[in-house]
Amino acid sequence: MKKSGYFIIGIICFLMTAGICVQVKTVTTWDTGPVVQSMTENKLRDNVLKAKEKYENEYKLLEQSMEELENLRNVAAKDNTDAQNMEKQINDANILLGLTEITGKGITIELNDANDSELAGNLNDYLVHDLDLVEVVNELFNAGAEAVSINGQRVVFSTAINCSGNIVKVNDEKIGVPFKIKAIGLPEKLYGALDRPGGYLELMEEDGVQVKMEKSDDITVPKYEGVYKTEYMQIVE
Amino acid sequence: MIFFVIILGCILGVVVGINLPVISYSYSGYLAIAIIAALDSVFGGITSVLNKNFDIKIFVSGFFGNAILAMLLTYLGEKLNVDIYLAAVIVFVGRMFVNLSIIRRYYIDKWDKKIKSKRQITNK
Repeated sequence: MKKSGYFIIGIICFLMTAGICVQVKTVTTWDTGPVVQSMTENKLRDNVLKAKEKYENEYKLLEQSMEELENLRNVAAKDNTDAQNMEKQINDANILLGLTEITGKGITIELNDANDSELAGNLNDYLVHDLDLVEVVNELFNAGAEAVSINGQRVVFSTAINCSGNIVKVNDEKIGVPFKIKAIGLPEKLYGALDRPGGYLELMEEDGVQVKMEKSDDITVPKYEGVYKTEYMQIVE
Repeated sequence: MIFFVIILGCILGVVVGINLPVISYSYSGYLAIAIIAALDSVFGGITSVLNKNFDIKIFVSGFFGNAILAMLLTYLGEKLNVDIYLAAVIVFVGRMFVNLSIIRRYYIDKWDKKIKSKRQITNK
């Protein structure tokens, strides 16, 4: 064989391995779980991924602008005590609205569906439902929790927790088991409120749900990632 | 020499491929079918080298032609809502197995002959 033949074979090997690498990378990047057979389904999936990416980019932009705004406010408020007070008010309000990531002491609760081996009777008793989460969150706020999040979704005043088939929607984001609830507040009080005999967690545990609760001195609750929108409410004159 | 070229090509391919950007998910189906067509061509090429009727023109045209034809068929199948690419996969993979069996036979024969000739030498 001539030299050019070797060269061409080298190029072809190069093309093939490069193609394989790109393909493997693509498949692992999109990580779609089980193999999909239909091309149309692939297209739909692609659209969803694109929309998600777009949303994430927009959200990043929003975050950047928020940061810029804060910097500008800081600069503007530098030499003005009135403005400084306003700035402080805004910051306090943002903390209350859940628009900042906060940290402090509190407890973490992990709820998971019952193990398969124990199953007998009504299947519904062995699963963690949306209403269970509502009860637990209620108990936490009742015991003086200052900030609560479920699987990274901050519970704010407009948060809705509903059932959506085999998953739960919090803040319109889909989450599934295991549910990790973080609450900031006095750990002993929160723990006692949930751990009390006849309390909701005990009832759930009796049904077979796996419950884990821990006090901690260092809990970080993420900020609310949605956007507040008011359309109909107005201040009374 | 030929093995050196193949290995060099593969290594370069891996290095470049890892640094290439990820393609959109809907195109990955086309790339997959093209890869299978290319693999088929490579095994076909090895077989023809063993049979001593290797022709670089046929090899190269088969490599690109099969890959492009397979992609076009996949596209057509998508338009017609028939998974035509399954047919391409079956044909290519089937041929790959045939070619692999030819390669296998060739090397097993060679090995056999070697052992036999060694025995003859030791018997003498």
